[in-house]
Amino acid sequence: MKTERLIGLLTSGAGPAPRAPVARRLAPVLAAALTASIIASVAVLGLIPPAMWFGAAPWIKLGYAAALGASCAWLLARLACPAAPIGAAPYTLAAAVAAMLLVGAGELALMPPAERYSYMVGHSAARCPWAILALSTPALAGLVWALRGLAPTRLRLAGVCAGLLAGTIGAAGYALSCSEESAAFVAVWYSLGIALCGLLGGALGSRLLRW
Amino acid sequence: MSLPGELSSGVAWNDFEAELAPLWNRAQGGDETAYREALEAIAARLRGYFARRLPSVPHEVEDLVQETLLALHLRRGTHDGGLPVSNWVYAIARHKLIDLWRRRGRREALHEPLDETASLRAPLYEELPTRRDLEALLGALPEAQRLAIRLIKLEGLSVAEASQRSGVSVSALKVRVHRGLKRLAALVRKEE
Repeated sequence: MKTERLIGLLTSGAGPAPRAPVARRLAPVLAAALTASIIASVAVLGLIPPAMWFGAAPWIKLGYAAALGASCAWLLARLACPAAPIGAAPYTLAAAVAAMLLVGAGELALMPPAERYSYMVGHSAARCPWAILALSTPALAGLVWALRGLAPTRLRLAGVCAGLLAGTIGAAGYALSCSEESAAFVAVWYSLGIALCGLLGGALGSRLLRW
Repeated sequence: MSLPGELSSGVAWNDFEAELAPLWNRAQGGDETAYREALEAIAARLRGYFARRLPSVPHEVEDLVQETLLALHLRRGTHDGGLPVSNWVYAIARHKLIDLWRRRGRREALHEPLDETASLRAPLYEELPTRRDLEALLGALPEAQRLAIRLIKLEGLSVAEASQRSGVSVSALKVRVHRGLKRLAALVRKEE
Protein backbone atom coordinates (compact mmCIF):
# COMPACT_ATOMS: atom_id res chain seq x y z
CA MET A 1 0.00 0.00 0.00
CA LYS A 2 1.36 3.43 -0.90
CA THR A 3 1.70 5.81 2.00
CA GLU A 4 -0.63 8.26 0.32
CA ARG A 5 -3.33 5.61 0.32
CA LEU A 6 -2.72 4.86 3.99
CA ILE A 7 -3.07 8.57 4.78
CA GLY A 8 -6.35 8.60 2.87
CA LEU A 9 -7.51 5.61 4.87
CA LEU A 10 -6.56 7.20 8.18
CA THR A 11 -8.05 10.61 7.47
CA SER A 12 -11.34 9.81 5.73
CA GLY A 13 -14.14 9.94 8.24
CA ALA A 14 -11.60 10.54 11.00
CA GLY A 15 -13.61 13.24 12.77
CA PRO A 16 -12.16 15.29 15.61
CA ALA A 17 -9.44 13.90 17.87
CA PRO A 18 -10.72 12.23 21.03
CA ARG A 19 -10.85 14.70 23.91
CA ALA A 20 -8.89 14.15 27.12
CA PRO A 21 -8.16 10.47 26.41
CA VAL A 22 -5.72 10.32 29.33
CA ALA A 23 -8.28 11.29 31.97
CA ARG A 24 -10.97 9.22 30.30
CA ARG A 25 -8.80 6.15 30.36
CA LEU A 26 -7.12 6.56 33.75
CA ALA A 27 -10.09 7.73 35.84
CA PRO A 28 -12.31 4.63 35.51
CA VAL A 29 -9.32 2.34 36.08
CA LEU A 30 -8.37 4.21 39.26
CA ALA A 31 -11.95 4.16 40.56
CA ALA A 32 -12.33 0.43 39.88
CA ALA A 33 -8.92 -0.41 41.34
CA LEU A 34 -9.59 1.57 44.52
CA THR A 35 -12.91 -0.22 44.95
CA ALA A 36 -11.22 -3.59 44.43
CA SER A 37 -8.49 -2.72 46.92
CA ILE A 38 -11.03 -1.64 49.57
CA ILE A 39 -13.26 -4.69 49.08
CA ALA A 40 -10.31 -7.11 49.19
CA SER A 41 -8.88 -5.44 52.28
CA VAL A 42 -12.18 -5.44 54.19
CA ALA A 43 -13.21 -8.93 53.08
CA VAL A 44 -9.89 -10.68 53.63
CA LEU A 45 -8.25 -8.71 56.43
CA GLY A 46 -11.27 -7.11 58.16
CA LEU A 47 -12.00 -3.52 59.17
CA ILE A 48 -10.19 -1.79 62.03
CA PRO A 49 -12.17 -1.28 65.28
CA PRO A 50 -14.52 1.73 64.83
CA ALA A 51 -12.95 3.57 67.79
CA MET A 52 -9.71 3.90 65.82
CA TRP A 53 -11.35 6.39 63.45
CA PHE A 54 -11.39 8.93 66.31
CA GLY A 55 -7.59 8.79 66.41
CA ALA A 56 -5.15 10.22 63.88
CA ALA A 57 -3.63 6.95 62.64
CA PRO A 58 -6.06 5.92 59.87
CA TRP A 59 -6.26 9.47 58.61
CA ILE A 60 -2.48 9.77 58.44
CA LYS A 61 -2.36 6.57 56.38
CA LEU A 62 -5.17 7.65 54.04
CA GLY A 63 -3.75 11.16 53.73
CA TYR A 64 -0.29 9.83 52.89
CA ALA A 65 -1.73 7.46 50.28
CA ALA A 66 -3.84 10.27 48.80
CA ALA A 67 -0.94 12.75 48.61
CA LEU A 68 1.37 10.21 46.96
CA GLY A 69 -1.40 8.95 44.73
CA ALA A 70 -2.31 12.41 43.46
CA SER A 71 1.34 13.17 42.64
CA CYS A 72 1.79 9.84 40.86
CA ALA A 73 -1.44 10.22 38.90
CA TRP A 74 -0.38 13.67 37.76
CA LEU A 75 3.07 12.38 36.77
CA LEU A 76 1.61 9.37 34.97
CA ALA A 77 -0.78 11.56 33.00
CA ARG A 78 2.25 13.54 31.75
CA LEU A 79 4.29 10.42 30.99
CA ALA A 80 1.39 9.06 28.94
CA CYS A 81 1.77 11.93 26.44
CA PRO A 82 4.83 12.07 24.17
CA ALA A 83 7.08 15.12 24.66
CA ALA A 84 4.92 16.51 27.47
CA PRO A 85 7.00 18.22 30.17
CA ILE A 86 6.81 16.38 33.47
CA GLY A 87 6.16 19.48 35.53
CA ALA A 88 6.38 19.66 39.31
CA ALA A 89 4.93 16.22 40.08
CA PRO A 90 8.28 14.65 41.13
CA TYR A 91 8.71 17.47 43.65
CA THR A 92 5.28 17.05 45.22
CA LEU A 93 5.97 13.30 45.36
CA ALA A 94 9.30 13.89 47.12
CA ALA A 95 7.70 16.47 49.42
CA ALA A 96 4.99 14.00 50.51
CA VAL A 97 7.57 11.31 51.31
CA ALA A 98 9.81 13.83 53.12
CA ALA A 99 6.90 15.15 55.18
CA MET A 100 5.88 11.62 56.20
CA LEU A 101 9.45 10.68 57.15
CA LEU A 102 9.75 13.90 59.14
CA VAL A 103 6.54 13.26 61.07
CA GLY A 104 7.64 9.69 61.75
CA ALA A 105 11.10 10.80 62.89
CA GLY A 106 9.59 13.53 65.07
CA GLU A 107 7.33 11.01 66.72
CA LEU A 108 10.25 8.68 67.46
CA ALA A 109 12.35 11.55 68.79
CA LEU A 110 9.71 12.25 71.46
CA MET A 111 9.74 8.60 72.61
CA PRO A 112 11.96 7.08 75.25
CA PRO A 113 14.84 5.53 73.26
CA ALA A 114 14.12 2.04 74.54
CA GLU A 115 10.62 2.02 73.03
CA ARG A 116 11.50 3.44 69.64
CA TYR A 117 12.25 0.18 67.89
CA SER A 118 9.12 -1.64 68.98
CA TYR A 119 7.04 1.42 68.13
CA MET A 120 8.40 1.57 64.61
CA VAL A 121 8.06 -2.16 63.95
CA GLY A 122 4.64 -2.50 65.58
CA HIS A 123 3.00 -5.90 65.42
CA SER A 124 2.53 -6.21 61.66
CA ALA A 125 5.67 -4.87 59.96
CA ALA A 126 6.37 -8.22 58.33
CA ARG A 127 2.92 -8.28 56.76
CA CYS A 128 2.32 -4.65 55.80
CA PRO A 129 4.47 -4.19 52.64
CA TRP A 130 3.36 -7.52 51.19
CA ALA A 131 -0.31 -6.80 51.87
CA ILE A 132 0.05 -3.45 50.09
CA LEU A 133 1.77 -5.17 47.17
CA ALA A 134 -0.98 -7.78 46.95
CA LEU A 135 -3.78 -5.20 47.17
CA SER A 136 -2.11 -3.12 44.45
CA THR A 137 -2.04 -5.83 41.78
CA PRO A 138 -5.48 -5.12 40.26
CA ALA A 139 -4.52 -1.45 40.03
CA LEU A 140 -1.22 -2.25 38.33
CA ALA A 141 -2.92 -4.54 35.82
CA GLY A 142 -5.52 -1.87 35.07
CA LEU A 143 -2.94 0.88 34.70
CA VAL A 144 -0.84 -1.21 32.33
CA TRP A 145 -3.94 -1.74 30.22
CA ALA A 146 -4.76 2.00 30.31
CA LEU A 147 -1.22 3.00 29.36
CA ARG A 148 -1.11 0.59 26.45
CA GLY A 149 -3.88 2.63 24.84
CA LEU A 150 -2.05 5.90 25.50
CA ALA A 151 1.43 6.85 24.32
CA PRO A 152 4.17 6.51 26.96
CA THR A 153 7.60 6.88 25.38
CA ARG A 154 9.66 6.44 28.56
CA LEU A 155 8.52 2.95 29.32
CA ARG A 156 10.50 2.08 32.43
CA LEU A 157 9.73 5.40 34.10
CA ALA A 158 6.05 5.08 33.19
CA GLY A 159 6.13 1.56 34.64
CA VAL A 160 7.68 2.75 37.92
CA CYS A 161 5.12 5.54 38.14
CA ALA A 162 2.22 3.18 37.40
CA GLY A 163 3.58 0.82 40.06
CA LEU A 164 3.84 3.57 42.66
CA LEU A 165 0.32 4.77 41.86
CA ALA A 166 -0.97 1.21 42.16
CA GLY A 167 0.92 0.99 45.46
CA THR A 168 -0.88 4.03 46.86
CA ILE A 169 -4.19 2.40 45.93
CA GLY A 170 -3.11 -0.77 47.71
CA ALA A 171 -2.03 1.32 50.71
CA ALA A 172 -5.37 3.17 50.83
CA GLY A 173 -7.19 -0.16 50.96
CA TYR A 174 -4.81 -1.59 53.53
CA ALA A 175 -5.24 1.48 55.77
CA LEU A 176 -8.83 0.33 56.43
CA SER A 177 -7.65 -2.88 58.06
CA CYS A 178 -4.33 -1.83 59.58
CA SER A 179 -4.48 -1.36 63.34
CA GLU A 180 -1.03 0.18 63.75
CA GLU A 181 -1.10 3.50 65.63
CA SER A 182 2.28 5.02 64.89
CA ALA A 183 3.24 7.51 62.18
CA ALA A 184 6.76 6.08 62.15
CA PHE A 185 5.28 2.73 61.15
CA VAL A 186 3.51 4.36 58.22
CA ALA A 187 6.61 6.29 57.19
CA VAL A 188 8.69 3.12 57.03
CA TRP A 189 6.44 0.22 56.09
CA TYR A 190 3.83 1.91 53.93
CA SER A 191 6.61 3.66 52.02
CA LEU A 192 8.39 0.34 51.61
CA GLY A 193 5.25 -1.40 50.35
CA ILE A 194 4.57 1.37 47.82
CA ALA A 195 8.21 1.32 46.72
CA LEU A 196 7.98 -2.45 46.15
CA CYS A 197 5.04 -1.81 43.84
CA GLY A 198 7.13 0.79 42.00
CA LEU A 199 9.92 -1.73 41.53
CA LEU A 200 7.48 -4.29 40.17
CA GLY A 201 5.98 -1.69 37.81
CA GLY A 202 9.43 -0.71 36.56
CA ALA A 203 10.42 -4.33 35.97
CA LEU A 204 7.22 -5.00 34.00
CA GLY A 205 6.95 -1.61 32.34
CA SER A 206 9.69 -1.76 29.75
CA ARG A 207 8.29 -5.07 28.50
CA LEU A 208 4.52 -4.71 28.88
CA LEU A 209 4.11 -1.08 27.84
CA ARG A 210 5.62 -1.38 24.36
CA TRP A 211 3.50 -0.17 21.48
CA MET B 1 28.67 21.01 15.93
CA SER B 2 29.24 24.59 14.82
CA LEU B 3 27.04 27.40 15.92
CA PRO B 4 25.77 28.33 12.44
CA GLY B 5 24.81 24.69 11.95
CA GLU B 6 22.71 24.73 15.08
CA LEU B 7 21.06 27.94 14.04
CA SER B 8 20.08 26.63 10.64
CA SER B 9 18.84 23.44 12.25
CA GLY B 10 16.68 25.52 14.54
CA VAL B 11 15.27 27.39 11.58
CA ALA B 12 14.37 24.20 9.77
CA TRP B 13 12.72 22.88 12.92
CA ASN B 14 10.62 25.98 13.29
CA ASP B 15 9.67 25.83 9.61
CA PHE B 16 8.20 22.41 10.15
CA GLU B 17 6.32 23.54 13.25
CA ALA B 18 5.09 26.67 11.48
CA GLU B 19 3.84 24.61 8.53
CA LEU B 20 2.33 21.88 10.63
CA ALA B 21 0.79 23.63 13.66
CA PRO B 22 -2.13 25.42 11.91
CA LEU B 23 -2.98 22.32 9.86
CA TRP B 24 -2.78 20.16 12.93
CA ASN B 25 -5.03 22.39 15.01
CA ARG B 26 -7.73 22.28 12.37
CA ALA B 27 -7.23 18.55 11.95
CA GLN B 28 -7.68 17.93 15.67
CA GLY B 29 -10.95 19.84 15.45
CA GLY B 30 -12.22 17.46 12.75
CA ASP B 31 -11.10 19.10 9.45
CA GLU B 32 -10.24 16.09 7.29
CA THR B 33 -8.56 18.01 4.48
CA ALA B 34 -6.24 19.68 6.97
CA TYR B 35 -5.62 16.30 8.59
CA ARG B 36 -4.63 14.78 5.25
CA GLU B 37 -2.25 17.66 4.52
CA ALA B 38 -0.80 17.45 8.02
CA LEU B 39 -0.13 13.72 7.71
CA GLU B 40 1.41 14.24 4.26
CA ALA B 41 3.77 16.87 5.66
CA ILE B 42 4.58 14.58 8.59
CA ALA B 43 5.17 11.59 6.27
CA ALA B 44 7.68 13.59 4.21
CA ARG B 45 9.52 14.60 7.39
CA LEU B 46 9.49 11.10 8.80
CA ARG B 47 10.90 9.67 5.57
CA GLY B 48 13.96 11.90 5.95
CA TYR B 49 14.18 11.33 9.69
CA PHE B 50 14.16 7.52 9.36
CA ALA B 51 16.28 7.42 6.18
CA ARG B 52 19.08 9.26 7.99
CA ARG B 53 18.88 6.92 10.96
CA LEU B 54 18.54 3.66 9.05
CA PRO B 55 21.28 4.02 6.44
CA SER B 56 21.97 0.28 6.39
CA VAL B 57 18.33 -0.76 5.89
CA PRO B 58 16.73 1.71 3.45
CA HIS B 59 14.02 -0.82 2.61
CA GLU B 60 12.71 -0.47 6.19
CA VAL B 61 12.10 3.26 5.93
CA GLU B 62 8.69 3.38 4.28
CA ASP B 63 7.34 0.57 6.46
CA LEU B 64 8.37 2.50 9.54
CA VAL B 65 6.85 5.70 8.15
CA GLN B 66 3.54 3.89 7.72
CA GLU B 67 3.72 2.26 11.11
CA THR B 68 4.40 5.63 12.72
CA LEU B 69 1.51 7.27 10.86
CA LEU B 70 -0.82 4.58 12.17
CA ALA B 71 0.47 5.16 15.70
CA LEU B 72 0.10 8.93 15.39
CA HIS B 73 -3.46 8.52 14.22
CA LEU B 74 -4.48 6.09 16.94
CA ARG B 75 -2.93 8.26 19.67
CA ARG B 76 -3.64 11.72 18.33
CA GLY B 77 -5.67 12.54 21.43
CA THR B 78 -2.45 12.49 23.48
CA HIS B 79 -1.16 15.68 21.86
CA ASP B 80 -1.67 18.52 24.31
CA GLY B 81 -2.73 21.54 22.26
CA GLY B 82 -0.44 23.85 24.21
CA LEU B 83 2.76 22.06 23.15
CA PRO B 84 4.58 22.06 19.78
CA VAL B 85 3.14 19.33 17.61
CA SER B 86 6.53 18.69 15.94
CA ASN B 87 7.98 17.70 19.32
CA TRP B 88 5.11 15.28 19.78
CA VAL B 89 5.62 13.80 16.31
CA TYR B 90 9.37 13.38 16.79
CA ALA B 91 8.93 11.82 20.23
CA ILE B 92 6.67 9.17 18.69
CA ALA B 93 8.98 8.70 15.67
CA ARG B 94 11.93 8.16 18.01
CA HIS B 95 9.90 5.70 20.07
CA LYS B 96 9.01 3.76 16.92
CA LEU B 97 12.64 3.70 15.80
CA ILE B 98 13.80 2.36 19.17
CA ASP B 99 10.97 -0.17 19.09
CA LEU B 100 12.15 -1.37 15.68
CA TRP B 101 15.72 -1.93 16.93
CA ARG B 102 14.41 -3.65 20.00
CA ARG B 103 12.22 -5.99 17.99
CA ARG B 104 15.18 -6.88 15.84
CA GLY B 105 17.12 -7.65 18.98
CA ARG B 106 19.91 -5.31 18.00
CA ARG B 107 22.02 -3.92 20.76
CA GLU B 108 23.79 -1.24 18.76
CA ALA B 109 23.16 2.30 19.88
CA LEU B 110 20.67 4.44 18.09
CA HIS B 111 22.40 6.07 15.16
CA GLU B 112 22.04 9.80 15.62
CA PRO B 113 23.63 11.45 12.59
CA LEU B 114 25.66 14.53 13.33
CA ASP B 115 25.24 16.00 9.86
CA GLU B 116 21.60 16.73 10.54
CA THR B 117 21.81 20.25 9.14
CA ALA B 118 23.39 19.16 5.87
CA SER B 119 20.71 16.55 5.37
CA LEU B 120 17.94 19.00 6.08
CA ARG B 121 19.01 21.04 3.11
CA ALA B 122 19.16 17.97 0.90
CA PRO B 123 16.21 17.32 -1.42
CA LEU B 124 13.26 15.41 -0.06
CA TYR B 125 13.67 11.70 0.35
CA GLU B 126 11.78 9.65 -2.16
CA GLU B 127 9.19 7.13 -1.16
CA LEU B 128 10.56 3.63 -1.66
CA PRO B 129 8.28 0.62 -2.01
CA THR B 130 7.21 -1.00 1.25
CA ARG B 131 8.08 -4.57 2.05
CA ARG B 132 4.96 -5.06 4.06
CA ASP B 133 1.58 -5.25 2.38
CA LEU B 134 -0.96 -3.34 4.49
CA GLU B 135 -3.65 -4.40 2.04
CA ALA B 136 -3.02 -8.05 2.92
CA LEU B 137 -2.95 -7.23 6.63
CA LEU B 138 -6.32 -5.47 6.31
CA GLY B 139 -7.60 -8.73 4.88
CA ALA B 140 -6.54 -10.49 8.07
CA LEU B 141 -8.87 -8.37 10.24
CA PRO B 142 -12.11 -9.86 11.57
CA GLU B 143 -14.95 -9.55 9.07
CA ALA B 144 -16.93 -6.90 11.00
CA GLN B 145 -13.93 -4.58 11.41
CA ARG B 146 -12.86 -5.09 7.80
CA LEU B 147 -16.34 -4.19 6.56
CA ALA B 148 -16.49 -1.04 8.69
CA ILE B 149 -13.06 0.09 7.44
CA ARG B 150 -13.95 -0.68 3.84
CA LEU B 151 -17.21 1.29 3.92
CA ILE B 152 -15.96 4.36 5.79
CA LYS B 153 -12.28 4.48 5.03
CA LEU B 154 -11.94 3.02 1.54
CA GLU B 155 -15.31 3.71 -0.10
CA GLY B 156 -15.50 7.07 1.64
CA LEU B 157 -19.07 6.79 2.92
CA SER B 158 -20.08 8.96 5.85
CA VAL B 159 -20.62 7.05 9.07
CA ALA B 160 -24.39 7.60 8.73
CA GLU B 161 -24.43 6.23 5.17
CA ALA B 162 -22.30 3.29 6.17
CA SER B 163 -24.67 2.61 9.04
CA GLN B 164 -27.65 2.56 6.68
CA ARG B 165 -25.87 0.33 4.19
CA SER B 166 -24.68 -2.20 6.75
CA GLY B 167 -27.47 -2.05 9.32
CA VAL B 168 -24.92 -1.50 12.09
CA SER B 169 -25.37 1.45 14.47
CA VAL B 170 -23.24 4.57 14.05
CA SER B 171 -21.45 4.17 17.37
CA ALA B 172 -20.76 0.47 16.77
CA LEU B 173 -19.28 1.31 13.36
CA LYS B 174 -16.97 3.92 14.87
CA VAL B 175 -15.81 1.45 17.49
CA ARG B 176 -15.19 -1.19 14.81
CA VAL B 177 -13.13 1.18 12.69
CA HIS B 178 -11.02 2.18 15.69
CA ARG B 179 -10.57 -1.41 16.86
CA GLY B 180 -9.72 -2.45 13.31
CA LEU B 181 -6.99 0.17 13.02
CA LYS B 182 -5.65 -0.80 16.44
CA ARG B 183 -5.58 -4.41 15.35
CA LEU B 184 -3.83 -3.39 12.14
CA ALA B 185 -1.16 -1.53 14.13
CA ALA B 186 -0.66 -4.62 16.30
CA LEU B 187 -0.40 -6.87 13.23
CA VAL B 188 2.18 -4.54 11.73
CA ARG B 189 4.38 -4.95 14.80
CA LYS B 190 3.89 -8.68 15.15
CA GLU B 191 4.63 -9.36 11.52
CA GLU B 192 8.32 -8.54 11.88
